[in-house]
Amino acid sequence: MKELRVTVRENVPVAQNVFRLTFSLPEPVEGLRCGRFVDLSVGDGAHLLRRPIAICAYTADSVTVCYQCKGAGTRRLAACKEGDALTCVLPLGNGFVLREEERRVALVGGGVGVFPMISVLKEYAGSGKTFYSYIGFRTKAAVCGEEAFRAGSERAVLVTDDGSFGEKKNAVEAFFDDLSAAKPDVILSCGPAPMLRALKAGLAERGVRTPCYVSLEERMGCGIGACLVCVCDLENGEHARVCKDGPVFAIGEVKL
Amino acid sequence: MVDLRVELCGVPFKNPVIAASGTFGFGKEFNEIYDIGVLGGVSTKGLTLEPRLGNPTPRIAEGYGVILNAVGLQNPGVEEFLRDDLPFLREKDTVIIANVAGRTLDDYAAICARLDGLVDMIELNISCPNVKCGGMAFGIRPESVREVTRAAKGALKTTPLIVKLSPNVESIAANAAAAQEGGADCLSLINTLTGMVIDLERRRPLLANNTGGVSGAGIRPIAVRMVFEACNAVTIPVIGMGGITCAEDALEFIMAGAAAVQVGTANFTDTLAMPRIIEGLHAWLDRHNVRSVAELRGTLRLNG
Repeated sequence: MKELRVTVRENVPVAQNVFRLTFSLPEPVEGLRCGRFVDLSVGDGAHLLRRPIAICAYTADSVTVCYQCKGAGTRRLAACKEGDALTCVLPLGNGFVLREEERRVALVGGGVGVFPMISVLKEYAGSGKTFYSYIGFRTKAAVCGEEAFRAGSERAVLVTDDGSFGEKKNAVEAFFDDLSAAKPDVILSCGPAPMLRALKAGLAERGVRTPCYVSLEERMGCGIGACLVCVCDLENGEHARVCKDGPVFAIGEVKL
Repeated sequence: MVDLRVELCGVPFKNPVIAASGTFGFGKEFNEIYDIGVLGGVSTKGLTLEPRLGNPTPRIAEGYGVILNAVGLQNPGVEEFLRDDLPFLREKDTVIIANVAGRTLDDYAAICARLDGLVDMIELNISCPNVKCGGMAFGIRPESVREVTRAAKGALKTTPLIVKLSPNVESIAANAAAAQEGGADCLSLINTLTGMVIDLERRRPLLANNTGGVSGAGIRPIAVRMVFEACNAVTIPVIGMGGITCAEDALEFIMAGAAAVQVGTANFTDTLAMPRIIEGLHAWLDRHNVRSVAELRGTLRLNG
């Protein structure tokens, strides 16, 4: 974990209100991996908080993240041009880790939660894992990453809430519809809170015991575990820090 | 070579830059980024006798040049602090200030008694705006500031007592004087200003707690004014804070009369903010041929 001054290499729209930003690293960074995140300044003095954004892809000298343009801060970020300098603390959080015996992997992603799923595909490409991807968006204009999911998955099911692209259903429905065929050893998921809740409820209703890990989102302060701003509730009544103890948690461990 | 050393209540600080309570945890996480032994001191996350879970999320929001937080004193409790966190801080060559809060006068006395002699200084949080019983009730009126300070001071045999003042009051000077009358050895201010940010789409406050404490660069002029007024109302040392992001910001507080400063929100914007401020103090003093930072304290002259 370190704070670096990074340089924007590319910052382009990839779907409605969603941007892909690649920045150059001034020095090597250890520990980059799927499911971890970076905490990126938005490029002006008015916004004092960095924005925590999941790693989508990385190379030895660059990191790519995708973010939704949602408020004033991300609008400012979206205005960044090639060559602009930002500060970044990275890599943060625990990330997704697949065990040796977890060969068949289901990815359930929704909205901007699809990007950490793409990072898993890239991390484990060529590792002998078989991926089954269930990816949902609100509408056709929001669809992104289709190529990555089709290229990296044994089966990629892309759906939309309004049926304007793929079948009209959500990612969780698409996953459960295919569960008996895919027979995953592990389920990884990232997406809006209602989606994660539906996934947790669906697994419980069906008595599915397959290990399932979810990546959570929360407004953060320091991003490194010191300020206790981004806590989530655990089933045992305690709190965990999304930034430091997560963002990936076993689904049974967290209250959603 | 300039001299950044300062002394407060007989406690020597290697420099006047102290991590503000609540932004720095107990130092472990920032120590993964830099050696926190370079800091003058660390004020811990607010401690209570028992562990507390704090407020629901979202606990943080932004305004222009400011943030709002409503963490609500989540902390592991004083016993876990003593067991798990204090030994780590003890290994670091920095002044350890335990920030403490309570619901009642007895709470304040009990937690002070528990920490007496175990930490370098105690900072009384009588002004947390984010919990109903987090001491805010004590921090508003001079009479109750005096009373809670007296209760805490009465429980302390050796450890110097800092009283952290709220800016959400009628007269900062009156409250500063009341704290000194109650036996405070030192003051720190300002705590956060109470504010609100509204999510228009949901027609609700963005923070789950509705209101939160405003901090960050945008509040600095208010803080400098209040520190100046407090310094003129007491004879005990004052630690200034509120929106400090660089050495020049810190020097405004010192010229206004502060003996040391605390840095909070800037740690969120820049994890290296405090080491940079310390370097910047060296550079500024060097450039201005000032030998010691202590010489600058209270050198402000008012116009006309």
